[in-house]
Formats: sequence, C-alpha cells, structure tokens
Amino acid sequence: MTFRVSRRNFVAGGATLLSLSALGPGAFAADARLRLLWWGSQPRADRTNKVSDLYKAKNSGTSITGEFLGWSDYWPRLATQVAGRNAPDVIQMDYRYIVEYARRGALAPLESYMPSKLNLDDFDPAQIEGGKVDGHLYGVSLGANSAATVVNTVALQEAGVEMPTNKTTWEELGKMGAEITKAGKRKGFFGFADGSGAEPLFENYVRQRGKALYTADSKIAFGADDASEWFDMWAKFREAQACVPPDVQALYKDTIDTAPLTLGKAAIDYAHSNQFVGFQAVVKDKLTLNNYPLIKADSKGGHYRKPSMFFSVSAQSKALEQAVDYVNFFVKDPEAAKVLDVERGIPESKAMRDVVAGMLDDVGKIPLNYVANLGDLAGPLPPPPPSGAGEGQTVLRQLAEQVAFGQVTPADAGKQLVDEITRLLARG
Amino acid sequence: MRATADRAATAEQYQGVVADSRWRRLLAANGPGYLFLLPWLLGFLGLTLGPALVSLYLSFTDFDMIRSPEWVGAANYVRITTADPKFAAAMKVTLTYVVLSVPFKLIFALLVAMALNKGVRGLTFYRAVFYLPSLLGGSVAIAVLWRQLFAGDGLVNAALSHIGIQGPSWISHPSYSIYTLVALSVWQFGSPMIIFLAGLRQIPTDMYEAASLDGASKFRQFYKITLPLLTPVIFFNAVVQTIDAFKAFTPAFIISGGSGGPINSTLFYTLYLYQEAFGNFRMGYASALAWILVLIIAVFTAFSFLSSRYWVHYDD
Repeated sequence: MTFRVSRRNFVAGGATLLSLSALGPGAFAADARLRLLWWGSQPRADRTNKVSDLYKAKNSGTSITGEFLGWSDYWPRLATQVAGRNAPDVIQMDYRYIVEYARRGALAPLESYMPSKLNLDDFDPAQIEGGKVDGHLYGVSLGANSAATVVNTVALQEAGVEMPTNKTTWEELGKMGAEITKAGKRKGFFGFADGSGAEPLFENYVRQRGKALYTADSKIAFGADDASEWFDMWAKFREAQACVPPDVQALYKDTIDTAPLTLGKAAIDYAHSNQFVGFQAVVKDKLTLNNYPLIKADSKGGHYRKPSMFFSVSAQSKALEQAVDYVNFFVKDPEAAKVLDVERGIPESKAMRDVVAGMLDDVGKIPLNYVANLGDLAGPLPPPPPSGAGEGQTVLRQLAEQVAFGQVTPADAGKQLVDEITRLLARG
Repeated sequence: MRATADRAATAEQYQGVVADSRWRRLLAANGPGYLFLLPWLLGFLGLTLGPALVSLYLSFTDFDMIRSPEWVGAANYVRITTADPKFAAAMKVTLTYVVLSVPFKLIFALLVAMALNKGVRGLTFYRAVFYLPSLLGGSVAIAVLWRQLFAGDGLVNAALSHIGIQGPSWISHPSYSIYTLVALSVWQFGSPMIIFLAGLRQIPTDMYEAASLDGASKFRQFYKITLPLLTPVIFFNAVVQTIDAFKAFTPAFIISGGSGGPINSTLFYTLYLYQEAFGNFRMGYASALAWILVLIIAVFTAFSFLSSRYWVHYDD
C-alpha cells in the first residue's frame, strides 16, 4: 500500500496546518499576547473582559485571552499551569496564597516598575504593603474589603427583631438569633449561619481578645483557651437554636450560592464586603452589611481592611512589561474603574475611588460605606498567612463540625486546633 | 559423530533464517495491525505509562509543583504509613465504600439481569434504559442531582415526610453521607448488568428443563445451576467493580465540594490525594499516595485471582 497525496490535497493540508499553528502561542501572534486567569462569577468575568477590550482599544496589536473558574477549581488549575511552565501572564492572587507562590519564585517582583510603569502613588500605603512578601511587591491590590455580616433586613422585620448595630455583642446576637428562629415566620428558617468554622469570624474574635491567628514569623498566635471558648459559645447558640443546625451548615461550600442566607435558611450570614453585590444579586430580600459582633461593648480592632485580591504577574511571562502595563491600566484607568465598580472591593487609588463613588447605586454604596465607616473597629492588617495556613482553615472547619455534630467537646476541640495547626506550621 | 555436528550446524543456520524471516513475516502480517494500533499505543506510552513512571520518581521527592523536585528517599512513604491520620481516615472511608457498594451493586445488577432474561418484550429498550445511569453516573450533573435529592429539603425527605419521618440532610450529615454515595454507585448497575445478562444467556436452557423435570424448585435451580455457571462472570464483574470503587472520585468531589466533609466522612482516597497535590502543593507526597493505592488495588486483585480457583467454575 502506498500513500499518495495529490497536489491539491497537499495545499489544503498545508493551509490547515498553518492555521492550526496560529493557535499555538506566539506563532503568528500580534505584538503582545497576554493571558489572564481569575476566579469569580460570570458578572465578574463580564466586567473583566470589558476592561480587556478597553485596553486593547488603547493598545492596538495586543491580544488578551481571559479565563475564569470558581474559587475551589481555580487553585488546582493555577498550580498545574505554573508547574507546566504555562502560567498565565496576569494572575489573580489571594492574600492566603501570595506567600506560597512568591516564595516559590512563581511571581515577578514589581517594585522595579514603579513609578513609571506602575503608579501606585495614591494608594493607601498599608494596602500596598499587603502585596509584599519578604520586602518585594508581588501583588497589586484590586480593591479593599473587610469581613462583614450580611443581614436580611426583611426577615428581621418579619420576626420583629431590631437590626444589629456596630455595638451589638455576640451575646445580644445570640438572643436575636433565637428570637428569629422562634418567630417561625419562614419554614426551616434560623437566626444566623453557623460561623464556628469560618476563619475570618474566628480571627476577628481572637483579635478582639488582643491575639491573632499567626505571628509574622509563622507561629500560631492564639491559645487553646481562646479556641475552646469560641467553640463553647457556638455550642450554646446551637443549643438555643439561634443558628442553623450542623447538617444545614455543612451544605455550605464556600460559595455565595451555597450560603445558608442564600438558600433561605438563615437571616444573617458572613462574607467579605465585596461579595455583598453578589449576595444581593441572588437574594430577593433587601440586604445590608454590618460589622462582626463584639465580645464586649467597648471592644475594638477585630476587623481590618485587607486587599480583597491582587493581580500578580507571572515570573515566567514573556511579556512582563505589557503585563505590568495591563495591571496598571486595571487599577488606574477611570474608564476601567467605572466598569469594575466595587465588585472586586473598594478601589485602592483615591482618584479611582472618587470616580466610582460618583456613579454607585444603592447596592454598591453599602459596601463602600461599610468599609469607610469601620472606624476603630478596624485594626492593623495582619501579616500574610504562612504556608500551611490554607490547611489550618480546613482544620478549623473540621473541628467546628465535629463539635457541632457532638463528636468532640468544645474544650477538646480547642486543644486539638492548637495542636494540629502547630504541627502544620512545623511541616510548612 | 560428524553427522550430528553437521546437523547441529544446519539447525543453527536454519534457525537464523527462520528468525530473520519470522520478523519479516510478523511485520508483513501484523504491520497494518500495529499501524492501526499506533494512536492508542502512542497515547498509552505518552499519556499513561510515561506519566506513571514520572509519578513513581516524584513519589521519592518533595516536588511542590513549582520548584524543581529534590530527592527525599522513602520519606513520603514512611510518613504516609506511620504519621498521617488523614491517610487512615481516607483509607477507612474508601474501604467502607468498596465493601458496601460492590456487593450491593452486583446483587442489584444480577437481579435486574435475571428479570430481563425472562424474555420481556422490548428487551433492548429496557436494557438501554437500565444502562443509562452507568453512562451518566460518573458525570458532574448526576452528582449535582444527587445533592438535590438528598439535601435536607430534597425529594427524598419530601417522600419520607409523607410517612411521618423527618429526615436530616443526608448528604451533609457525617453519619449518612457515605451511604448516599454508595446508593449513587449502586444506581449505576448498568454495565455489570449487561455482562450478567450476556452470561445468563450462555447457560443452556435444557439444564433448567432437566432440573424442573426432576422437581427442583426455582430457588434450587438458581443456587445449583445459575450461580455456579455464572461464577466466571461474577468474578470478572467483582474485580472490575472493586478496582473502579477504589478509584472513585467525582461523586465525592462534587457532593462535598472537594472537601471530603463533613468531618472527612466522604474523604475518598483519591480525593485526599487530589487535595494534597493541588490544594497543598505536595505533588511528591501525593504521588507516593497514588503508588500506595496502586499497591493496594494490586493486592486486592491478586487475592481475588488466588481465591478464584476455589469458587470460580469454568465449565469447558
């Protein structure tokens, strides 16, 4: 059997091959080709793609491809791409992972581009600091946010319970929760979500007690007694039916659409302030934001303003300068700021904040005002979490579940939490 | 004497010629076969064997996905077997799943196959319908559907409430979540059922006729004829399903949101492996976990084969 190719077939095949090769990186590309990767929902993707279009319009010859995933699928994808030497040029990065990626040399240090290419002059200095690891800038904050409770105002009114204020204590919240549940205005409805396994909530609690989750030199910064009292407080809420039962809380998968508030199981839930827009988009009732409850009436400093997320540039990028230029455009261009709104947090640049503030609707104003009015409820930004902190969060959630399902006593859970996190940090 | 030496020499020459021409003949005869095999062969070498060998190497390193791997000897294996409580937890969940899902699935598949073997009308239709879950079962959509069915306000509890039972949220309760996954697995009985059906058809009907003439009850016929003659098929199904059950990943991943929760109750071995590799940047450690799973499956399979001579009946 011989293999014969007619001239016409040869030409057709050749043309196909040529067009295929255009799909490969850079073969017939425009001047620069940027790849973006971020996590988030479709509305966030729409905004991001619109900004990319704006950038392309101003920089002809640049092509930008963006890709987005949900939070939990995002990290495996990013890790695989980085390991395969195929990292995207611009990477959306989280405070929890920036140390892991920066120390492994996956991110490009950006300070040498400042201020000519990357101008962060009107940024809040503390927020720039948040993107630094070992003295180098690896991430540019895309917005400030703070942890918050999300409150379903309609459900509270129905139950005849007053809105929580910035003075509300945990004890008072517990009573409110029990009242909402007791009012029984909705089927299978409880006062608040079970936050015993939520790390931001626990961190806020230990900070109000003058402690922290981690020290700057990667040690654990709270004690077993702090954790035990925390678990004990939640055990009492559960007993009083102020919060949802454990099998309802266990449905929560770290996404807005699985939160007890969204599922119509609880009147109060916990989130980052920039997620407010996302919550209001899927919940019919009018929502509002409030700070986390206090441990006592005059308690301070549990909250902090943190970079909601960063843009980092891959150290493997072949278009470093262009990537930095894109990041700069993203955080400093007024047109881009209008598109982005407060969906990724309050813009860090003062000029952009003014642009955005002028055009916000009522829903957008709530997180802006919330973050702006924290006052002395907010303390300093803690150091970036050490490696192993991601697992620490899992341990907290798991022990909280064990207490909730009655497998471990609050006192033992507190001890185990400290033991296990200490072990994780030692392993690194 | 001379004659023998001569004969030896010619034999040697002859064998050389044979070997030479045998290659040529083999190639001539099988060349096209190999050509057709090539796409699969390339895939097998490049996408299965190659990565498997790399992972064997990585299992002896501290590879973290980004920095280049460094040799750590057997440290990963030592840690897994001596100082990893999560390994034990994952092993327990996986074994529970295997021990429950495989027998139930096989029994269910056999029952349906026997019902279909009764000569129902529209057999091909039913066969296709019953096979459907096997095609869909591993998919994300079905796992999502399962979440809806077994959630606190899902269909299952709605049905239970009619008989006065107030069920918990089955998929998110540590005491029940694994059973919802077992149920999901049993529901995908299609592929063993098809194989059972083929096996049942092989059994000559005159055996049953003879047995009923002799007055053997239906149960006795099943126990003395169907079951023994079906043992090769049962054996095959059991081995394949056991290996599949050890490797189960998607349902637990989707239903628990990748966490294996609540409280590790759905932490399948593969899910733990995945968490270590992609969540905690421990690709080396995860590779070692993978090789331990290979070993465990190999031991189980070897054990099945060894035991088969005592209960599998080949009637040739």
